[in-house]
Amino acid sequence: MKAVRAVALTLVLALATLSQTNAQETLRIGAPLPITGALAPEGSKLKQGYELWLDTVNQAGGVKLGDKRLKVELVYYDYQSTTPKAVQLAEKLISGDKVDFLFSPFGSGAAKAVSAIAEKYGVPMLASSASSNEVFDQGYKNLFGLYTDNSSLSEPIADVVKEKLPALKRVAILGRNDLYPLSLGNEFEKSAKKRGLDVVYYEKYPIGTLDHSSALTQLRAANPDWVIVTGYINDLILIRKQAAELKVGGQIYTLINGPAYQEWIDAVGPLAEGVTTASWFHPVLDYKSEDIFGSTRKFVSLFKAKYGSEPDFTQASGAAVGVILQLAIERAGSKDRSAVREQLVRGKFNTFFAPVSFGPTGMANSYLPPVFQIQEGKVQVVYPPEVATGSFRTGLTH
Amino acid sequence: MLWLQVLVNGLALGGLYACIAAGFSLVWGVLNIINILHGSLIVLGGYLAFFAHLQLGISPFLFAPIAGMLLFLPGFAIQRVIISPVMARPVLMTLVLTFGLTLFLDNLMLVAFTADYRKINLQPPLGVLEFGDVVLPLDRLYATGIGLVSVGALWLVLRSTQLGRAIVAVRMDRDAASLMGINVRLTHAIAFGLGTAMAGVAGALLAAIFPISSLSSSGYLGKAFVICVLGGLGSVPGVVLGGFALGVIESYGALAVGPENALTMSFLLLIALLALRPTGLLGRKGFT
Amino acid sequence: MLRGGLIGAAAVTVFGILLLFGDNYALRLGTTVAMYVTLATAWNIIGGFAGYPSFATAAFFGLGAYTSGIALSNGIPLSVAWAGAGLIVALFAVMLGLCILHLRGHYFAIGSLVAADVLREITNVWVSVTGGGIGLNLPLPGGDAETQAKLFLCVMSGLAGAACCAAWTLTRSRLGVALRCIAQNEDAAQVIGIDTGRSKIAALALSSLFVGIAGAIYASWTIYIDPSDVYDVSLSVKPIIMTLLGGVGTVTGPIVGAFAFLGLEELIWRNSLEFHSGFLGLLVVALVLFLPAGLGQLRVGSIWTRIRTVLPPEARP
Repeated sequence: MKAVRAVALTLVLALATLSQTNAQETLRIGAPLPITGALAPEGSKLKQGYELWLDTVNQAGGVKLGDKRLKVELVYYDYQSTTPKAVQLAEKLISGDKVDFLFSPFGSGAAKAVSAIAEKYGVPMLASSASSNEVFDQGYKNLFGLYTDNSSLSEPIADVVKEKLPALKRVAILGRNDLYPLSLGNEFEKSAKKRGLDVVYYEKYPIGTLDHSSALTQLRAANPDWVIVTGYINDLILIRKQAAELKVGGQIYTLINGPAYQEWIDAVGPLAEGVTTASWFHPVLDYKSEDIFGSTRKFVSLFKAKYGSEPDFTQASGAAVGVILQLAIERAGSKDRSAVREQLVRGKFNTFFAPVSFGPTGMANSYLPPVFQIQEGKVQVVYPPEVATGSFRTGLTH
Repeated sequence: MLWLQVLVNGLALGGLYACIAAGFSLVWGVLNIINILHGSLIVLGGYLAFFAHLQLGISPFLFAPIAGMLLFLPGFAIQRVIISPVMARPVLMTLVLTFGLTLFLDNLMLVAFTADYRKINLQPPLGVLEFGDVVLPLDRLYATGIGLVSVGALWLVLRSTQLGRAIVAVRMDRDAASLMGINVRLTHAIAFGLGTAMAGVAGALLAAIFPISSLSSSGYLGKAFVICVLGGLGSVPGVVLGGFALGVIESYGALAVGPENALTMSFLLLIALLALRPTGLLGRKGFT
Repeated sequence: MLRGGLIGAAAVTVFGILLLFGDNYALRLGTTVAMYVTLATAWNIIGGFAGYPSFATAAFFGLGAYTSGIALSNGIPLSVAWAGAGLIVALFAVMLGLCILHLRGHYFAIGSLVAADVLREITNVWVSVTGGGIGLNLPLPGGDAETQAKLFLCVMSGLAGAACCAAWTLTRSRLGVALRCIAQNEDAAQVIGIDTGRSKIAALALSSLFVGIAGAIYASWTIYIDPSDVYDVSLSVKPIIMTLLGGVGTVTGPIVGAFAFLGLEELIWRNSLEFHSGFLGLLVVALVLFLPAGLGQLRVGSIWTRIRTVLPPEARP
C-alpha cells in the first residue's frame, strides 16, 4: 500500500513539474469567442485580430522576457454568443486550461459577466470591445477595457454638429434595445440636451426587428434636423436605405456602428455619402507605436497581406488587446499576474490602435475616438484636428 | 397623412409575409408537421438569390421562381429520406427532428457563407412611387406582388390540378385518400417539396429588400407561426389574410405603442387568438 | 425500481466525488448537470407524463431568474427570493395553462413557445424594473470562489433531487395516473371521469415550479442575467432532447439523458470550434430516427448476447 502511495506521489510530482516547465515555455491566453450565434460576425473579426497579433509575435520569436522569449498560445472556445456559456468557459479556461491571462468575450454584456469570474480568480482580463460604463462599475481590479466610454463617441460629434450647424435644433434618436446601442443612445440624448437641442423623438426598436418602416415614418413626422441611429450593421444598412425611401428629412445622419465598416458602405452605395459616425479605430489613422507593429500603417499593411481587406475597428481591437498585454508583460519582465496587473494600471502604451492608459475603473481614457464622415465613398476623419484627413461637410444625399 | 403612410408600409409587406408562411402552412396542414426548418430554408433561398445576383447579375425578382424550383428537390428528398419514417410518431418527434435539421443547416450556412449580413445592392436602385406625401418603395411593391402571385400559383395548383386534388384529399383524410388509390407517401413528399419551394421564393424576395444571414432564420419562422395562427391553418386564402393582417398590425402597433413594443404585441395577439379562436380569423376547423 | 436505485446511487456518488475533489470547473459542470436534470425532469412531468409538447421551459426559467434577481436587488433574503420566484412562476404557469392547455398538439407547442418571446420582450421594455437590455446585476453571495461553487452545486443538486422525488411520487399518485390517461387518450380520460383540465394545469404548475426555482438559483450563480440569455429558446429545447435521449415518461430517463447530453455536448463542442451545433443537429436527427425510445433501447444485455454468439465456445463464461 505504501509503495502504491509513493508511486502515485512521484507521478503527481512529476506531472506537476512537467506542467510547470511547460507553462514556463509558453504564454497561454484564454479567449472565449462567439463563433456561432447572434454575434458570429463580430466573433470571426475578433479572431482575425487575435491571430494577426499572435502570428506576428511568434514569428518574431515570442514575447520578450529579459533575454528569453515566450511563445504565445491562444486557447479559443466558442461561447455561442450566450453569456452563461462565456462565464462557464472563462472558468474552464482559468481552472482547466490554466491560462495566464484572459481576453474578454465580445461586447459589453458578456464582458461584464465574465469580469466577475476574472475578479474571483485574480486573472487580469483585457476587454476588447466593451464601451458601456455599466461594465466597469463593479470596482473590479482585473478588468481593463480598450475602448473609451460611450459618451466619448457622442460628445465630439455633438461638438462638431453644434459648431458647423449652429441653427440646428431638432434631434431624433432611434436606438436598438440592447446593452451597448441603448447606452449609446442615452449618451446621445444627454449630449444633445446639454447643448440645448430638442430631442423630438427617442424610440427603441427590439433586437431582431425585421423592418423599420413604422419607426422611420414616425421619426419623419417629428421633422428632425439631426437623425441619430444606434445598432449593428444589418440594422443600419436597412435603416439608411429605408430612411431614403421614406424621405426622412434632416441635415445630418449619425449612425453607429456601421459606417466605419466597409461592408456597410458597399451595401448602401451612394446613400453612405455624408453620413457621420465615430469609432475607436479606423485604418485612416496613423499612430507611431512602440508595439510589435511599429505603426498603424504597418499594422494595416500586414492585415491586408493576411486577409485581403482593410481592418475595421473590431478586427483591430483583437490585435490591440494583444499588443497591450504583450507590452505590459515585457515591461513587467515576467508573466506574474500581479506584476502585469501593476503595469496595466500604470498604462501609457503607445499602440498602433491609440495611446492607451486605463482610468480608475479600468476603462481606457487616454484618447478620443475620432469622428468620421463618408465623403465620395471614402471614410475621412473630420475630428479631432490633430488626426483629421478632411473637413466636415454639411449636406446629405437623400 | 401619417396613418396612410403606415397603412401603405404594412400592406407593402403583406404579400411577402403571405409568401413566407404559405409553404409552412401547407406542410403543417397536409403532413401535420411543424417544419422548424422553414426559416433556414428561407435564408437558403436568400443566399441563392444573393449569389445569383453577385455572380450572374440576375435580379432577385426574376430569380425568385428559379430559387423555388431549385429548392423543390431537396425538400422532396428530405421528406422521403428523413421525415417520412417518423410521420406516424407523436408531434414532439417531428418537431425535434426538424429542429435538429435546422441546427445543421444553419451551421452549414454559417461556415459556408460566414455570418456577415449580405445585402443585394440593386443598381440602379428601383426608386419609389409617390402619391403626395405617401411613398411606396418599388422594390417592396415588386416583392409583395411577386409573393402574392406565387401564393396564387400555389393555390391554383392545389385547386385545379390532379396533383393538387391529391394533396387536398390527403390533407382531409389520409386513409380515405389511400383507399382511393392516391399514393400518400409520394403526395406527402411533393407537398413538402412545394413547401420548401415556397420558402425559396420567399427567401429570394426577402433578399431583394433585407440584409440576409443565417442568424435571421428563427425570426422568419416566428413570423410564419403568427401568420398561420392569424389566418387559420392549411388554407391559402388564410395565409394571405394572415400576411396582410400581420403587416398592418405590426405597422399600426409600432405607431400606437412604440416600436419597442410592436414585437410583443404580435406575440400577445398570437396567444390571445390561440386562447380564444384557435381556428384562426377565417374560422376553419384546424388540424390537431 | 432497481435501475432507479442504481442511477440514484450513481448520481449521489458523482455528487460526493465532485464535492470532495472537484476543481471549480468540475464543480461548475456538476452544477450544470444538476440544472439539466431539474429542467429535464420538470419538462417530463408535462411533456412526458401528460404528453403535452411544452416549449415553455425558457419562459418559466427566465421568469424565475428575473423575479428572484429583482427581489434580491431589493434586499429580500436569498431563500425567500428563490422560493418566491418558484411560486410566482407556478402562478404564471396556471394562467398560461388556462390560456393554452385546451389546445392540443402543434397549437399547444406554438402557444407555449411564444410565451418566452412575450416575457422576453416585456423584460426588455420594462427598463425601470428589469434594467431592460442592459441586464441585471445580482449581489455577490459571500465566500470565496470555491465555497460559492460548492454552495451552488449543493443547492442545485438538492433541487434536482427534489424534482426527481416529486416525479417519482407523481408516478404513484392519482394525478400521475390521470396524466398517463391524458397522454394516451384524452377524450377517453374525460369519459372515465378524470378532470383533465385541472390535471393538466396541476402538471404544468408543478413542472414550472422546479424550472422557476432553477432559474432563480441560476441567476444568483451567474451573477448577471440579461433577457436574451435567460429566455433563450435552447432552454426549452435542450430538456426535450435530454428526455428523448434518456426515455420519455420515465422517472430515470431525464436523469440519464441529462448526464448523457452534457457529456455529448462537451465532447462535440471541444472537438469542433465551428461546427458543433451542426453536429448536435445531426445527433438529434439520428436520435429521433434510430433511437426514438432513448438510450434505454441500447440494452447492455442484448449487446452481451451478441458478443457471446461471436466468441468461441471455450471463451464463453
